[in-house]
Amino acid sequence: MSMATGVGPTGAGAGRVEPARAFDIIGRRRWWYALSLAVIIPGLIALYTHHVRDHHALNWGVDFTGGNSLELQITQPFTVGDVRTLMDRFGLGDAVIQKSGDTEVFIRTRPLTQSQMNGIIDAAKARWTSAAMLREDTVGPEIGAELRNVAILGVAIGLVLQVIFISIRFRSVRFAIAADIALLHDLLVVIGAFALSQREINSSFLAVLLTVAGYSINDTIVIFDRIRENLGLRTREPFEPLVNRSVLEALVRSINTAMTAVLAIGAVYVFGGETIRDVAFGLVVSIITGGYSSIFNASCILVDWHHWSERRGVPAGAGAGAPRRIEPPRDVRAAADGAGPSAAETPAAVSGGTPRPRPDVSRRRRRRRR
Amino acid sequence: MKLSNPVRLAGVIVIALAAFLIAFQPIRLQGSVPVLQAPQPHLNLGLDLQGGSHIVLQAEPTAQTQVTNDSMDGVLKIIRNRVDQLGVAEPAITRQGTNRILVELPGIQNPQRAIDLIGKTALLEFVDTAAVSLPQGTQWKDSTTAVLPDGSAQHVAKNVILTGADLSDAQVQFDQYGRPQVGFTFKSSAAKKFEDYTTKNVGRYLTIVLDNRVISSPVIQSPIPGGKGVIEGGFTLESARDLAVLLRGGALPLPVHVVENRTVGPLLGRDSIDRSLHAGYVAIVMVGLFMALYYRLAGVLADAALGVYTLILFALLTLLGATLTLPGIAGFILSLGVAVDANVIIFEKVKEELRGHKTLRASVATGWSRAVVTIFDSNTTTLIGAAVLLWLGTGPVRGFAVTLILGILTSIFTAIVVTRVFVDLILDTGLAPYIQSLASAGRSAAGAAPVAAGGSAGGAED
Repeated sequence: MSMATGVGPTGAGAGRVEPARAFDIIGRRRWWYALSLAVIIPGLIALYTHHVRDHHALNWGVDFTGGNSLELQITQPFTVGDVRTLMDRFGLGDAVIQKSGDTEVFIRTRPLTQSQMNGIIDAAKARWTSAAMLREDTVGPEIGAELRNVAILGVAIGLVLQVIFISIRFRSVRFAIAADIALLHDLLVVIGAFALSQREINSSFLAVLLTVAGYSINDTIVIFDRIRENLGLRTREPFEPLVNRSVLEALVRSINTAMTAVLAIGAVYVFGGETIRDVAFGLVVSIITGGYSSIFNASCILVDWHHWSERRGVPAGAGAGAPRRIEPPRDVRAAADGAGPSAAETPAAVSGGTPRPRPDVSRRRRRRRR
Repeated sequence: MKLSNPVRLAGVIVIALAAFLIAFQPIRLQGSVPVLQAPQPHLNLGLDLQGGSHIVLQAEPTAQTQVTNDSMDGVLKIIRNRVDQLGVAEPAITRQGTNRILVELPGIQNPQRAIDLIGKTALLEFVDTAAVSLPQGTQWKDSTTAVLPDGSAQHVAKNVILTGADLSDAQVQFDQYGRPQVGFTFKSSAAKKFEDYTTKNVGRYLTIVLDNRVISSPVIQSPIPGGKGVIEGGFTLESARDLAVLLRGGALPLPVHVVENRTVGPLLGRDSIDRSLHAGYVAIVMVGLFMALYYRLAGVLADAALGVYTLILFALLTLLGATLTLPGIAGFILSLGVAVDANVIIFEKVKEELRGHKTLRASVATGWSRAVVTIFDSNTTTLIGAAVLLWLGTGPVRGFAVTLILGILTSIFTAIVVTRVFVDLILDTGLAPYIQSLASAGRSAAGAAPVAAGGSAGGAED
């Protein structure tokens, strides 16, 4: 490889992104909302049609339904029909039988006793000498119900705690709710993806759900953090361009982080094997939608909310949960000097505000004390 | 951060080295003499990776016995006895909630047999069935009705003379034809009772019943003194051995049934490890390449910090005795991708500072301190999610949560501290201009990333 362009201290990129000429993400927000719906609605339709057709909107695994699942490896040639014939002998012709790859078969049945299970394994070994048990799960119905409750409870508690945290850190419920709408979007996308692909939902799906929650909110916070930072600097810039500028400034980071995360978990999807593939699939979808929604949904919702409350003419600080719309920003520099980073946060003051000396326009950002 | 660069570098090296020693244990103490050995991870592998059974038993109250702390402890003790007989290397038997017992059997070769053995109530009864001989497999429905193997019901009073609790020992024996049978010995008080009973009932049938199922129904040919006897029931060597184990351990005070059984065969476990390792290598290389191509020298430094991250995370997991599960590995690999996030945030802020025409040193300092707030806020939300997962989840899902939490904390440390040490060191050398080139990262790279950035990465190694 040769020394190519862009190397060294050329300062070639020292210019700044000019907001005026920058890509207007926020202005096109109807498109982004439409794109989100275009992704979510097919998932919802799949949920509905699967529900109507076989009362299983999602492909719930035995972890949630209770029952038995059995994974066998058979290196001789075989078909799903052969396995079904075998299961018929046990009166289990209605079992879910899936072949994965050339040598593995996955069998899911209603709850069986251990001796019935052993009988099936023994029969398979008698039928195919190469048959070997890879994995066997028996889950009682009581466990399935518990897991379902835990999943719902876990997601609910996680969401509430995160809303509280964001509300505190951004001094505005508005940011928290916008972040949560984006998260809801991501959950719908992921669930829709599982409905469309009919991938099995098992206990590891809990891990997927909470990764969505963690990543989606994390990514949104980084962008909101930038909005917060800019709000504390340029009190005269209207809200919408300010948000757009903030999104653009945080864009590279969002894309790069999503990129490295997808590269990493994509490797698991491709090379990690059947057992972990569904989880990896869920994680890849989570990261892509999480990255998308924080750029294209969360910030847009903030702006729409802002316009909406302006139209309604909500006075500053009125109404429960309304952020302090027009609040003179505190002297951030003094606050920062006083008590380190956390005290340096400005309230979520939105555009307008008291006239105050504008910082040097060419130096866009406050220079915090090192 | 007031320490001089060489001191901070030394600190990072010491931490990395300590992490390596803990995680891979290349040195082992033999007595008091340190010996070198091939470095390899010393993490506990979950049952889904090494193969084995994870079995949850739930106890049910009976008319006689309630589910209490005491009765559950009794169940636990007996199950532990039985498991010990299985010869599993490191079984774990723990109570779970009020009425459940979790049995974990790593690396077990024959899980079906194990479940059969530990889940049996194993209530042995010697029943006086008077003039009736019942065929093997007959099942008592209640205390007066027995269902024969052909499905027909027969009225037989279940008159229990002695039970398994009266036994002091049970062993496998062989009859004169070499067929396995189970020999038993009564405790002394029961021995007397047994002798009296057999003396009075010669010619009648003494039926031997295990968990309400008839094993055999022999006729009493002569009085049996000495409190010894045998059970014959067409046993295989293995089934005779299992019955002896059950009888020695005694009956469970409460019947249990399996509510959850997750068994992974040794084949799949091995396969999962190989595949996840493969995926892990690919992930590290891809993430490393991406960072180096995009952020050039700074990216290479972040990659070095990512190496330190991997070492520290392994060491922490080893120290905590955490168990590595398959979802845990997925979490670990995902964390590799997300670990560089903190560095991405920092580099992006440094880049902005540089484009604002600040000096390199000032940009690095300001970029770092601005990024700390962002990193704190964004990671706390993920930590909240992971903490909930840890609190509510079970087994493998908890493994995922532990890996995620430790990964986040470690990545914050390596991005903020370790990468900074590397960057500061470079700033003191002639390579500083290559950090300066952060200012153009993503600009020239945006169009033709591999070519342009690849060149600079190559240059950085000069």
